[in-house]
Amino acid sequence: MEPAPPSRPRSEIRIETRLADRPTADGVQRPAEKIVIQDLKFFYGDREALHGISLPVHGKRVTAFIGPSGCGKSTLLRVLNRMYDLYPNQRAEGSVLLDGTDILSKRQDVNLLRTKIGMVFQKPTPFPMSIYDNIAFGIRLYEKLSPAEMDARVESALRKAALWGEVGDKLRQSGLSLSGGQQQRLCIARAIAVSPEVLLLDEPASALDPISTAKIEELIGELRSDYCIAIVTHNLQQAARVSDFTAFLFLGDLVEFGSTETLFTSPRDQRTEDYITGRFG
Amino acid sequence: MTLYARRKLVNRLALTLAGGAAALGLFWLTAILWTLLAKGVAGIDLALFTEMTPPPGDAGGLLNAIFGSLVMTVVAVLVGAPVGILAGTYLAEYARYEQGGRLGEVVRFVNDILLSAPSIIIGLFVYEVMVVRMGHFSGWAGAMALAVIAVPVVLRTTDDMLTLVPAGLREAAAALGASRWKVIVTIAYRAAGSGMMTGVLLAIARVSGETAPLLFTALNNQFWSGDMNAPMANLPVVIFQFALSPYENWQRLAWSGALVITATVLLLNVVARMLAARNRGNEA
Amino acid sequence: MTDITGQPTPTPTARARHFGAVAARGRRQDGVFHAVTLAAALAVLLVLGGVIVSLIAGAWPAVRTFGVDFLLTETWNPVTDKFGALAPIYGTLVTSTIAMAIGVSVGFGIAVFITEICPGWLKRPLGTAIELLAGIPSIIYGIWGLFVLAPFLQHNVQPFLIESFEDVPVLEALFQGPPYGIGVLTAGLILGIMVLPFITSITREVFDTVPPMLKESAYGLGATTWEVVWKVVLPYARVGVVGGVMLGLGRALGETMAVTFVIGNAHRISASLLAPGTTISAAIANEFTEAVGDIYASSLILLGLILFVITFGVLALAKLLLRRAQARSGGTR
Repeated sequence: MEPAPPSRPRSEIRIETRLADRPTADGVQRPAEKIVIQDLKFFYGDREALHGISLPVHGKRVTAFIGPSGCGKSTLLRVLNRMYDLYPNQRAEGSVLLDGTDILSKRQDVNLLRTKIGMVFQKPTPFPMSIYDNIAFGIRLYEKLSPAEMDARVESALRKAALWGEVGDKLRQSGLSLSGGQQQRLCIARAIAVSPEVLLLDEPASALDPISTAKIEELIGELRSDYCIAIVTHNLQQAARVSDFTAFLFLGDLVEFGSTETLFTSPRDQRTEDYITGRFG
Repeated sequence: MTLYARRKLVNRLALTLAGGAAALGLFWLTAILWTLLAKGVAGIDLALFTEMTPPPGDAGGLLNAIFGSLVMTVVAVLVGAPVGILAGTYLAEYARYEQGGRLGEVVRFVNDILLSAPSIIIGLFVYEVMVVRMGHFSGWAGAMALAVIAVPVVLRTTDDMLTLVPAGLREAAAALGASRWKVIVTIAYRAAGSGMMTGVLLAIARVSGETAPLLFTALNNQFWSGDMNAPMANLPVVIFQFALSPYENWQRLAWSGALVITATVLLLNVVARMLAARNRGNEA
Repeated sequence: MTDITGQPTPTPTARARHFGAVAARGRRQDGVFHAVTLAAALAVLLVLGGVIVSLIAGAWPAVRTFGVDFLLTETWNPVTDKFGALAPIYGTLVTSTIAMAIGVSVGFGIAVFITEICPGWLKRPLGTAIELLAGIPSIIYGIWGLFVLAPFLQHNVQPFLIESFEDVPVLEALFQGPPYGIGVLTAGLILGIMVLPFITSITREVFDTVPPMLKESAYGLGATTWEVVWKVVLPYARVGVVGGVMLGLGRALGETMAVTFVIGNAHRISASLLAPGTTISAAIANEFTEAVGDIYASSLILLGLILFVITFGVLALAKLLLRRAQARSGGTR
C-alpha cells in the first residue's frame, strides 16, 4: 500500500466530517442516529488498526464502509457487535453508543447486545443442520415458542429474505445443500429472524456470483425501511447502489463521511477522489 | 557406465526396494490375518459365545471373558470419553483463545505423552492407587486403567476436530447472541461430531485389545462374574494365559478369541476411518 | 402490537427483561461449562502426576535397598531378594534397536512408495492397509510371533544365520547357540513390524508437507525420482522424520505383550541375539502378579519407573522435533 498523501492533522479531519453531517440550514430532516461512534481506537495486540474514528450510523438507512483492503472497515464493523471479544488480544477504546448506551462498557452483556445487532459474514456460514433449524437456532436461544409460532417466525424470516419461494418446500434439508447465494440469504434470514434492530453486513456478496449479488442487493433495499444497516464492501458500485451514507476509511482513519450521493459525486478529500476514481485500492 | 546410466540404475534399484518394502508391509498384514482366520475360524461356534472358559481338556467357550471385556470397555469409555471430550474442548475452545496462557500447551504436551506412554505403566499406576488401596484385584480397577488409556485418544481427536471447525461458524452463532457454551455445544460439537465420534471409536478399538494394563488390575476370573468389585475375566488376559498354556483346547480357544478381538478392532478402525472421511467431506 | 402470528407481542420492556434474564443465565452456564472443561484438562495433568508419584512411591523401597547398583547389576534373584535391572534394560535397548533398524528402513521405503511411486488409485487402500497394522492389538502380534514367526525362524532362518556367520568375527558372537526360535532377535523383529505403521504414517505426513514447487524444480533440473526423494524431500522433511522415528521408538521401548510372548523371559545378558532375554515391560508383565515380598514388587515398579523415564524422554524429544517440523511447514502447532 502506498503511503498516505501528506495529510492534515487528524483532529482537523474529524471536525470537518462532523460539520458535514450536522443538520444543515437547508431544512433536510436527518434520520435518527441509531449508533454514534466516538473517537474509536482499535488494537490488534500492540498494533493500532483504527485511529480514533467518529461517525454516526442512522436508523432505517444503509451506511456503507468503503476503503482499500486493510483500511479497517471490517474491523470497525466487528466493533459494533463486539465480535472481537472472542479474541483475547483485540481491544477497543473510545465509545460506541447504541441508543445512547455505551456498548463498549464492561457492563454490557455481549450476548444481549448481539440479539439487537445481527451480523452476516463474508462467507456464507450455514450451520450444519436443516434450513428450518438454521433459522430457529437464534430464536430458540431467547424465546420459547409453540411449534406453530416457530413455523410462522421461520416462514416470515425466509419470506423477508426472499428465500421462501425457493426453499419453502424443503425446510428439512441441510442448509449446506443450498447454493452459495441461497446460503447467504439463509444467513440473512437467520439474522433477521431474531428481530434485531441493527444489521451488520460484512462484504455479504463478495463470495457470490453476479446474479446472487444482485439478489442480495435487492434484499438490502427491501430491508432498509425496517433496520439500521451497516455494510462493508470493497465494491464501490455496490456501495453507491445500496447505501444512503458512505464512510471512506483509509489506513485506519475516517477520511470522509457523508451522504452517498455527495461522497461519490463531489468528494472533498483528494484521497477519497483518488479511491473512487480507481487510482488506488 | 556413464554417469546418467548409473543414476538411472540407482534410481531403479531404490524404487524397487521401496516397492519391496510396501509389499513386505502388506505381506505381514495378510500373514497375520491369514493365520488368525486359519486357526481361529474353526473355533467360532455358538459355544464360544454361550459357554464359560473351561478347565484344561474340557469343551467350553469364552462367554465370561467376552462379557467381562464388554463391561470393562463400556465403563472405561463412559468414564474416559466425557473426560477426553471436555478436556479437548478446553484446549480447542478456551485455551486457544487465552492470552499468554501456557496451560493449554502443557496439557496438550502431557496428553501426547500419555497417548504414547507404555500401557503397562498405566497398569502399575492403577494397581498402586486402586488395587493396593482396595486390597484386591477388581473389574473397577481394570475399567479405570482402560479409561486412563482411552482419555488421551479421545482428547486428541476432539482437540483436532474442534480446531478444524471454521471460526466463521462460531462467530455466526455468537452473532445471534448465543453464549459461549451454547456455541460450543450446539454448533462446534455438531460440526465436529462425526470426527469426535471417530475419536471415541478409536478409543474403544484401542482399549478392547489392551492386555498389559489388565494383568494386574482386573486380573482374570475362571468363572462368570458380573461383580465389578471382584477380579473379572477379560478376553485379552484369557488369550494370553490360554495361548501360553500347554493344553490344546485352551490354545484353540485363544486363537478363536484372538480372531474375535482382531475382527472387532479392525471393524471399529474401518468405521472410524469412514466417519473421519465423512467429516472431512463436510469441511470442504 | 401483534406479531405475524396475530398473537399479542410482549411489551418492549417485558421482552427486554426476559432477554436479560436469559442472557444472565447464559453467563452463569458459561462459567460452569468453562470450569468443567478446565477440570477435565487438569485431570489429565493429575493423571500424569499420579503416575509419577505412584511409581516413585512404589519404587522407593527398592531404591533405598539397591541404590545405583540396581542399574548396574545383572542378578535377578527372587529367592535371595537380590535384584538388578541390567538385563531387562539391555534387552529393552537391543530389541528396540533391532525394531528400529527394521521399522525405519521398511517404513521409509513404504512411505516413499506411497508418496512418490504408487499410482493414485492404490494410494488410499495401501495406506489404509498399512495403518490397519497399527490397529491390531499387540497380543495378536504376540501369539502370531510365538506360533508362526518363531517356529519359522527356528527352522528356516536361524540355522542359516548360525552357519553363515560361523567364522565371521563379531557376527559369529551375535548369532551363536542353538536356534530356539524365541529370543531377542524374534522379539526385535515383531517389534519392528509393530512400529512400522507409525513410522510410515508420520513419514508420509511429513513428506506431504514438502512444497510441490521444490520437488518440481528438482525434477525440472533432470533429477530422478530417487534423487528428488533423497536430496530434496528428505533433507526438507528431516526433522519431522526423525520425530516420527522417535515416536516409533517410544512405542517399541514400552511394548509389552508382543515381546512377552516371544522373548523367552530370561534375566540374563547374552551376546547372541538368538538367546532368550527379557525387557523391562516383559519382566513386569510376567512377574508382577507373582511377586511376593515388598522388595520384589518394588524392584519391578522401579523397573517401570526406569521405563517411564526413558520413554518420557524419547517421546518428549519426538514431540519437540515434530512441532519444529510443523512450525516450519506453517502448521498451527
